[in-house]
Amino acid sequence: MNTTSLSPYVVETAGLTKRFGDRTVVRNVELRVPRGAAFGYLGPNGAGKTTLIRMLLGLTPASAGTMALLGLPVPKQRAAALARVGAIVEEPKFHGHLTGRENLRVVAAARSREARGRIDAVLERVGLAARADERVRTYSLGMRQRLGLARCLLADPELLILDEPMNGLDPAGIQEFRGFVRSFVDGGGTIVLSSHLLDEVEKTCDHVAIVDRGAVVAQGSIAELRGADGTSVLVEVDERARARTLLAAERTVDSVVDDGTLLRVALREGIDAVPDLNRRLVEAGFAVRRLEPQQASLEDRFLKITTRLENAA
Amino acid sequence: MSTLAPTAPRLIGADLLKLRSRRGLAAVVGLLTVGAVPIIYGVMEILHLVDSTKHGPAGGVENLGHGTFVVAALGGVAAAIVGASAGAGDLDAGVYRDLVVTGRSRLALFAPRIPAGLMFVLPFVAVAYALAAVAGVVFADTLPSPDVRLMALGGLWALLEVSFYCLLSLAIACLIGSRSYTIGIVLALQLAITPILASISALGIVRELLPGVAMQSLIAAGFGDAVRQGPVVPMSPAATAAVLLLWVLLALAVAARRDTTRDA
Repeated sequence: MNTTSLSPYVVETAGLTKRFGDRTVVRNVELRVPRGAAFGYLGPNGAGKTTLIRMLLGLTPASAGTMALLGLPVPKQRAAALARVGAIVEEPKFHGHLTGRENLRVVAAARSREARGRIDAVLERVGLAARADERVRTYSLGMRQRLGLARCLLADPELLILDEPMNGLDPAGIQEFRGFVRSFVDGGGTIVLSSHLLDEVEKTCDHVAIVDRGAVVAQGSIAELRGADGTSVLVEVDERARARTLLAAERTVDSVVDDGTLLRVALREGIDAVPDLNRRLVEAGFAVRRLEPQQASLEDRFLKITTRLENAA
Repeated sequence: MSTLAPTAPRLIGADLLKLRSRRGLAAVVGLLTVGAVPIIYGVMEILHLVDSTKHGPAGGVENLGHGTFVVAALGGVAAAIVGASAGAGDLDAGVYRDLVVTGRSRLALFAPRIPAGLMFVLPFVAVAYALAAVAGVVFADTLPSPDVRLMALGGLWALLEVSFYCLLSLAIACLIGSRSYTIGIVLALQLAITPILASISALGIVRELLPGVAMQSLIAAGFGDAVRQGPVVPMSPAATAAVLLLWVLLALAVAARRDTTRDA
């Protein structure tokens, strides 16, 4: 895959804002999507995810801020940047009276000269070769999603921007989509996908930005975001009161709660601190019967952030 | 960079494909143009054969004038439908944004619709007029046959009228993004607003600004009043050209502006 720029980020925004009248739907967004990532843009419905994507793709102008795709400033160098970007915004739409292949021919005409030569290959890749000459109005939603992906691939893209791509897919389709994301990223591409489905983002992506009411409230790798919520450890020892005092004094421990049978130890710096705690307990003479790290899920982190925001509002 | 290579022919081909693949559209346009002429001349010739004392031959100069009027009028209706489909097809289908995200300039996406719309509708009208011209000669019987010059002028006029309404319809469709409303607006302008305003003599020279009135002033004199509808408002060729160009260019400019600035 040829790359357009050597910038480490394929999407970069600074102070990106979109207002509709008095309503601010995207608020001062600073987004950095690393090259080669499967990046989830995660937020509840109405958080401004689609509006951000529409700004990046030049479908609607930004009210303030700057953006760059593949290292190229947009909208200034929009044509050059979008030449290597494939995108699906909201649900994929087509001319229903045209066949799948004809719909791809229409978009290929607006792409580079080579795009038309890729039609057969992309239809094959998304598994639509056998139905390519049927009218799209006869396609199921899942087939339209596949055709949407095929349309994106005509650009031989470095970057795919997909808005809620798992909407309407059945479990097998979702599984297949995850496989597609992985193979695209493994091939050197980058995918940005917006979703309100926490679980799917966690399973599909390796980086994530959490957006709430138009603002990015956290971003990083999935592991970082989970870790930032504080891994906890369940500890079962013989003398809980004394062990609680010892653990609470540790630098890496945030808090210790005795729930009657176990100590629930919240860690400041993630799971790496667990072996040290075990050693401290053993050296202090405790019989450690159980030491079980509890990894926070992205959902825990998401709910904690959004709850915090709601409380602050 | 290959993306900067000229894409106009490919985009025109794509827009033409969208129109050609609409079977219903092709059927309606075919019926309104090529289909209408044999029916009209067939009825006139049958009436003549049944009772030649009451009904003259179906051919001749005057009947070619009537035929030209029919081709232009029904062709104008077909043009309204084709223009609306070409102008609002992508927006109606929701694929306009998918074309915009290719990075191609919106003007480059807008412009090919113009030749595509004309390339779709004009062949139908040309064939329809050719049939009318042949009928004008073949069925002339005792009436004077139209000469080649008059036939050519009649054909050019019909093509001009159809082209005008196709472009106007395309521009309005791009502007408002709806096929059905566009067809309604253009038909109202053609069939109701223009005749009504043209008949109000108190409006005087202002009537020259109506495209339908300007179009009437271009009808070849050899047809007499056979093609004309409503009162004649005399106009110079320069004024006629200016009015028609102003309408088309202004409509297309406003439509292009709207297309390049709308939220896709």
